[in-house]
Amino acid sequence: MQIAALHKVFDNDVVAIENLTLKIGRGEFVAVLGPSGCGKSTLLRIIAGLERPSSGTVEIGEGRIAYVFQDAHLLPWRNVLRNAALPLELMGMGRAQRLAAAREALGQVGLADAVRRYPAQLSGGMKMRVSLARALVTRPDFLLLDEPFAALDEINRQKLDQQLRELWQRHRMTVVFVTHSTSEATFLANRAVVLSSRPARAVADLPVDLPERRVASVRSSPQFAEMTRQIYDALERGGA
Amino acid sequence: MREEKTRFDFNFAQLRVLRAFAVYLFCGAFLVSGCNKNTATDSSGAAAVQLTLDWKPEPEFGGFYAAKQDGAFSRHGLDVTLTPAGEGADTWQLVATGKTQFATSSADQVLIARKQNADVIAIFAVYQTFPQGIMVHQSRGFKTMGDVFTHDGVLLAEDNAWLHFLENKFAPVRVRITYYSGGVSEFLAKKDYSQQCFVTSEPILAKHQGGDPQTFLIADEGFNPYTTVVICKGDLWRAHPDEVRAMAAACREGWRDYLDQPDPVNATMHGLNADMDLQTFAEAAAAQKPLIETDQTRAAGLGTMTGDRWKDLADQLVKLGVIDSSVDPQQCFVNP
Amino acid sequence: MKTRRTIFSALWPPAIVLVAAVLAMHVAASVLNESFLLPRPSAVAKVMFDRRDELLASLWTTAEAALIGFFASGFGGIAVGMILSASPLVRRAIYPYTVFFQTVPIVAIAPLLMIWCGPGLAAVALSAFIVSVFPVIANTLSGLLSTDPALEDLFRLYGASRWARLWKLKLPMALPSIFTGLRVAAGLAVIGTVVGEFLVGLFGPGEGLGVRIVSAKKQGRTDEVFAAVLIASLLGLAMFAAINLAAKLMLRHWHASEQDN
Repeated sequence: MQIAALHKVFDNDVVAIENLTLKIGRGEFVAVLGPSGCGKSTLLRIIAGLERPSSGTVEIGEGRIAYVFQDAHLLPWRNVLRNAALPLELMGMGRAQRLAAAREALGQVGLADAVRRYPAQLSGGMKMRVSLARALVTRPDFLLLDEPFAALDEINRQKLDQQLRELWQRHRMTVVFVTHSTSEATFLANRAVVLSSRPARAVADLPVDLPERRVASVRSSPQFAEMTRQIYDALERGGA
Repeated sequence: MREEKTRFDFNFAQLRVLRAFAVYLFCGAFLVSGCNKNTATDSSGAAAVQLTLDWKPEPEFGGFYAAKQDGAFSRHGLDVTLTPAGEGADTWQLVATGKTQFATSSADQVLIARKQNADVIAIFAVYQTFPQGIMVHQSRGFKTMGDVFTHDGVLLAEDNAWLHFLENKFAPVRVRITYYSGGVSEFLAKKDYSQQCFVTSEPILAKHQGGDPQTFLIADEGFNPYTTVVICKGDLWRAHPDEVRAMAAACREGWRDYLDQPDPVNATMHGLNADMDLQTFAEAAAAQKPLIETDQTRAAGLGTMTGDRWKDLADQLVKLGVIDSSVDPQQCFVNP
Repeated sequence: MKTRRTIFSALWPPAIVLVAAVLAMHVAASVLNESFLLPRPSAVAKVMFDRRDELLASLWTTAEAALIGFFASGFGGIAVGMILSASPLVRRAIYPYTVFFQTVPIVAIAPLLMIWCGPGLAAVALSAFIVSVFPVIANTLSGLLSTDPALEDLFRLYGASRWARLWKLKLPMALPSIFTGLRVAAGLAVIGTVVGEFLVGLFGPGEGLGVRIVSAKKQGRTDEVFAAVLIASLLGLAMFAAINLAAKLMLRHWHASEQDN
């Protein structure tokens, strides 16, 4: 993914992103942090193609893009299985095939037993997992996530962080993960990009020097603390 | 900051008292005006009464407007307010509930009212012959009233006793019947439409607008209630017979005046009802004369009624199932 | 058992109100003692029993017109709502005129209806349609226009066609709104039918409830007027209940999320 001199101005003349240049290699797990309203969601949407840049270029390699929103946004009239199968359905895949793929994706997030349930019967954490499965069902090459676990309680959040990390290790898609949480960024990513307050510019681009396989205990290691501190400093410098 | 105190600075408690007082006053005035619509006398000693007419100012009420205009009412000690009614409550209900002292209605309505235990009576009958008819397009080539019912088409009529009478007489009925809401526009628009009419009114209107109306009189088929009868409460006749006599006598004089000289009164009524032009007023007044002044009235006086006619009508209504035999036709009217 | 208790607890408050209302009506009628204004409830019940065949025939006639008018409103209203939601330009051009359906007095239009399609079922059903279509259009439109932007993004991301967006996302999302519109339309359809019958209903055997109301009133049979009005209300209630049941069935999976919202 190659983002060059990206510039985004909104209709009301608010400059969201100013002259941002970023290069992301295939299979990287990049966390994007920055103060509220700095434009990180906008950046993600531009990468996904949901919005157009005002100037500058975004080049993305071949491959399917998947997006996970801040809230699960499931279709309340469909059960879990059909919700997860939605992307494949929209892309025109046949019924039996897409439901099988959905079942598999749901299995990967640990919801194999809940396929018949409806969103109204799910907890927040389960809904988010369905959303995740929905994103994975197309075997995406790029996975974009916009603060997906922010609304969950700490325990569920850490569980899902773990699950996401494992999924990434298995599939090695390129992940761009927007978050507020320095600890989440540290746990999940290989690389943390810190943006300034609006208009967003890159303030820091920090490699995360932690082991490949990450378990919950890594959160209490001194390297972890050091990393979060670095990110925190960068945020402060950027005007958070 | 100094508080400006004006004359109208009541404190809150005083305001509440004032407001309550105003509310009671208002309710009281409302109640008082609503109740007791009994005869009140005005300063000149004349009894102030209301005569509610069951349609708009038209020649069928000419005699009443004449009585007012030529002073017949005031000569008999009555201060009469003429109130034309629209659609809505049947006038006998207004009389029975005391909303008005006098009103115009029809004989069959009086019988229906009395069946409902409303004590209303007729005191003066304008039309000796039932002025309702059915108007058809001449181009249909109908010869009799029966043809209207036994052929296809649409009949616009109010659901009155005479309609049931005719439906029974000409059963089985082929024409489709629906509600008549006034005017002649639907009739003129479609050739296969027929409608009820007041012989002095709609046929003339239709002819003026280029139509080809042909009228069959319902009275010719044997159904002949007195129409545009003045009604009042039976109580009023028993308690104030003089007032009722005065009303009947004044009506008699007014109708005499109108039959002899309709034009000045027509002008007044046209001023109140611009829907009908003066030409139509004149034609209608002429057309209704034979229905109002007959041998019977020349002998016994305008507006008088006979027990036989009431009995015939009652029998017919019993047969139609509109009333039952509990209603005594002789109790329905007086000739004061 | 829980179900029996729930049904009982749901029914007894309105039942109490009904008994109180009937009692109040009885007292008022007895005091007023003018049966042509307010009949006793017993008289109303009596005429409903005595004339049950005729009243039943009237009910079918009215129900037929009301249901035709209602289904026309339902399908027509949803279709128009869908069309209006598709294009802002069309919407701005046409929507103001649909309000006309809401505001036009049927009394003025009825003679025209009668001239076009003759008195009777067609004109009456058309009257029901005119009176009841606007809420369906308005609610459908509002439901279709208020979608979740994130879901729209999702659909766009995976390249969904316009038709897929409408059919798989917007329409199901709009269902609760649509049902609200249909609920209102049910009652209005009955009103439109009865008023239509006042004006252009056919007299004769099997005449509709509206015609019966006018005739009975003309002949001073107020007990029959009340009976016919009651039956018409029950018809409206039945249609309303049917819509609610349909809504419950179709939206049963939404329920918790509906409550959350």
